[in-house]
Amino acid sequence: MQQRSSEQMGRFGRRTYLAAAGGAVAGLAGLAGCLGDDGDSTPIAEVDPMTQGVDSGTLSWDDLGDLEGEITIYSGRTPDQISGVFEALEQEYDDLTVSVDYDDNDVQVNQILEEETHPADLMYSQDPGALNALHNDGVLQELPSDVLDAVPTSYQHNDGYWTGVTGRTRSIQYNSDRLDETDFDSWDELPTDITEYATDERFEGIISTRPNSGTFRGFIQAMVERKGEEETRDWVRQMAEDQDAQLFEGGSAQAEAVNRGGDDDPIVGLGNSYYAARILNEDPDAPIRTTFTENDAGCLFSVAGVGVLDQVGDAELVAEFVRHLIAEEGQELMMEDNGEYPVVEDIEYVGPLSDLDEINPPEFDLSGFDMDLQEAGDLIEEEGMFS
Amino acid sequence: MKPLTDYLDLSQQFPLTRQQLRETDRSTAALVLSSAIVAFLVMSPMLWLVFRATEVDPARAYSLIVSSQTGWITLNSIVLMAVVMLCSILLGVPLAVLTARTDLPHPRFWTIVAALPLVIPSYIGAIAFVGMFGSGGEIDSVLGTTIPAIDGLSGSIFIITLYTYPYVFLTTRAALLSMDSSIVDAARTLNASPFEAFKRVTFPQIRPGIAAGALLAGLYAISDFGTPAFMGANVFTSRIYWETTGFGREYAALLALQLIAIVAVVLVIEAGIGRDEDATSSGDGEGSTIRLGNWKWPAMGFVSLLGVLTLVIPVAIFTRWLFRSEGDRIPAYEFQLEFAFNSVYLALLAALVACLFALPVAYYSGRVNSLTSRILERATYVGFAVPGVVIGLALVFLGNRMLPSLYRQGVWLLVFAYVVRFLPQAVGTIRSSVLQVDEKTIEAARTLNAGRLETFRRVTLPLIMPGVVAGSVLVFLTTMKELPVTLMLRPIGMETLVSLIWNAQDSLAYRYAAIPALFLILISGLSMLLLLRQEGGKLS
Repeated sequence: MQQRSSEQMGRFGRRTYLAAAGGAVAGLAGLAGCLGDDGDSTPIAEVDPMTQGVDSGTLSWDDLGDLEGEITIYSGRTPDQISGVFEALEQEYDDLTVSVDYDDNDVQVNQILEEETHPADLMYSQDPGALNALHNDGVLQELPSDVLDAVPTSYQHNDGYWTGVTGRTRSIQYNSDRLDETDFDSWDELPTDITEYATDERFEGIISTRPNSGTFRGFIQAMVERKGEEETRDWVRQMAEDQDAQLFEGGSAQAEAVNRGGDDDPIVGLGNSYYAARILNEDPDAPIRTTFTENDAGCLFSVAGVGVLDQVGDAELVAEFVRHLIAEEGQELMMEDNGEYPVVEDIEYVGPLSDLDEINPPEFDLSGFDMDLQEAGDLIEEEGMFS
Repeated sequence: MKPLTDYLDLSQQFPLTRQQLRETDRSTAALVLSSAIVAFLVMSPMLWLVFRATEVDPARAYSLIVSSQTGWITLNSIVLMAVVMLCSILLGVPLAVLTARTDLPHPRFWTIVAALPLVIPSYIGAIAFVGMFGSGGEIDSVLGTTIPAIDGLSGSIFIITLYTYPYVFLTTRAALLSMDSSIVDAARTLNASPFEAFKRVTFPQIRPGIAAGALLAGLYAISDFGTPAFMGANVFTSRIYWETTGFGREYAALLALQLIAIVAVVLVIEAGIGRDEDATSSGDGEGSTIRLGNWKWPAMGFVSLLGVLTLVIPVAIFTRWLFRSEGDRIPAYEFQLEFAFNSVYLALLAALVACLFALPVAYYSGRVNSLTSRILERATYVGFAVPGVVIGLALVFLGNRMLPSLYRQGVWLLVFAYVVRFLPQAVGTIRSSVLQVDEKTIEAARTLNAGRLETFRRVTLPLIMPGVVAGSVLVFLTTMKELPVTLMLRPIGMETLVSLIWNAQDSLAYRYAAIPALFLILISGLSMLLLLRQEGGKLS
């Protein structure tokens, strides 16, 4: 009996060993391939566009050079948000391979900061603070000037180390089925001033937010900039203590709780609008809705964008790839997949959300995001908002 | 073949020869050396923690460490760990006795059901539970009733226990199978009641197994990242999470070191409970079984209920979305068989390498009770108590610099990371089996002129096989569900079942989580069936 079982173990072991050896060989082959393109790292700002710069009016992919080779992207966005445009590019160009590594946005940043040599050419993030953190550590390189000229300066880094690709505003989410449970007579009474969400007693016990997100910290920073630290501290403290805001660790979990509408769930939530859009995509009858404050930190416009890492395999390819994201098809695909705003001015927004002109988000220097991220984090914590 | 124990007396008549003794010294030295290498390898990521933590301004570090905030999270973390350990014992030990010592029909099936919760990431369980039982959940909308809200510290304890008790179940079961139950029969013939026989004969024998499992459950609880964060419990890991979201890696490292300090105390305390020189037997695992009679129905009902709570509900929640959703197709989330293959491939490699690494450490610390052996064995536990994200960052730092050719290419750095995280699962189970092997059996084989390796292969290894199998099952199942390290160190573009589940639930596209979750459970169940067969026909 024991004899038999040890025999079986032996066979099991050998087969695994063979599989493992195969894996090792494949690994070595991959290694050889990769060492080859690690050598040169011409700054991408110094490489001429393959055909023409994207600043010469709105270009389509046909106007740009052909993409050939392999490009590697670390993404903090999820596949449903951006894989569409990568797949479209791979279909457009037979010789292009886009390898994307999807992980949590903050983890990607931490990971890049721990790396000495970077497998990735690009970091694609939904959070300017994350891109700024990378730049502060000196791992990004300047983008080509035509790319920077194509995007409004407020949607890019001051010194051109990253650019926004699409944008969205922060919003107020609410459960449209639960008006009866609130002291509001109509959803139109929801304030358009973010301050009132912390002071209006009608929000007590029914409001929620997500303090650990990059955009929330950015929002806090924007508020500090516009209203001063004292007022911002009051806002955070009132939110935590007076309103007893429910705190979530994830934007999805928060939007879902607002939508679910159980007795313990919040009726109102401060967060990004695309979470609500996703829920409505899955279930058009879902009760979650969004509205916006006006011209204050509550409707802060923020971008998702790309930064190019300091050592890239093929500078020409990487630069041309970024041009494709800014070009017409890139912008339109993102708009469709994601319900976000384009960053290139000539491209018109078509979608279910209000026009940016109506919301009138405040002018805010996105490059400043994160300089004091730790401080913003401390402020939030010190005033008692910590989940 | 006659059991080797029958030759016991021979060992006294033919003492080991001088040449055999010299050989013994040499192989002991080899054993110590290989244990030390293993311990060093799995401790190496902790160097990064120290390196990063020293970047925190000392004055600030001091004020953080002595703050009342730290006091609270320390207390909460210890409560979380202790209560999960206790509850896991209360669930796991009776289940182990039920599947290994009674005439429960289809014991192998129930063993698998009771062990499978280990493959479900606990935060997935948490999401499913809230979706099912929480206010506004499925039950609430149909019946209008809810159970008390599952959140905070108590919610974390409840959920984590449901998904970690299998540690105690599997280690206890292995101990029961290794032990010679004829001594229980002997106790019974001496008129001991079944309870008395369990307390005085069985329990001392399986105590190291229970302790090993409870320790794993406790360490899992204290290092769990997702569930406390989801439940809003204020523990060490949720603080570490908060710091990593602000890119404060040096603070995260400092917190992780504090966590390790707590764990070190627990490891020292547990070292006293887990050791037991009385626990020796010949391990044929045959002998009397408890007859359940009509009790088998409630027994099966209980295991089924656990299975429904921990396995069926998550799958059901996701599956419901398959039918309800009217969303657009998301091609990126379509299930591919390759993902399942990747998961199994990684988990098998991890189980294999972990057992190879664990054998010298477990064997050495099980045979020799010295300070060195205990320290080396305890050292392998540290990686398990550190959140995966932290281990991942440490290995990004070290791997990218020291083994750039393996970084994000091929699976070996990833497999090593799994071993760092999960090695104690194999060490603990194998060691408790080693403890149960009677020294005299091995000496007997040696006096019969069997070489040391041959003795190990033909006598010791078969005797500790239940421990090796339990260890590889544990590593296999936990690797199947591992997420943070997998995402950070996998070759770029390699998808697994759990990475797909994570992506889908992160994007609120739950319907795409249904199929991979189902596959996760089915494949893990089948793999367990294969592994359990290695135990031999004991259960059939």
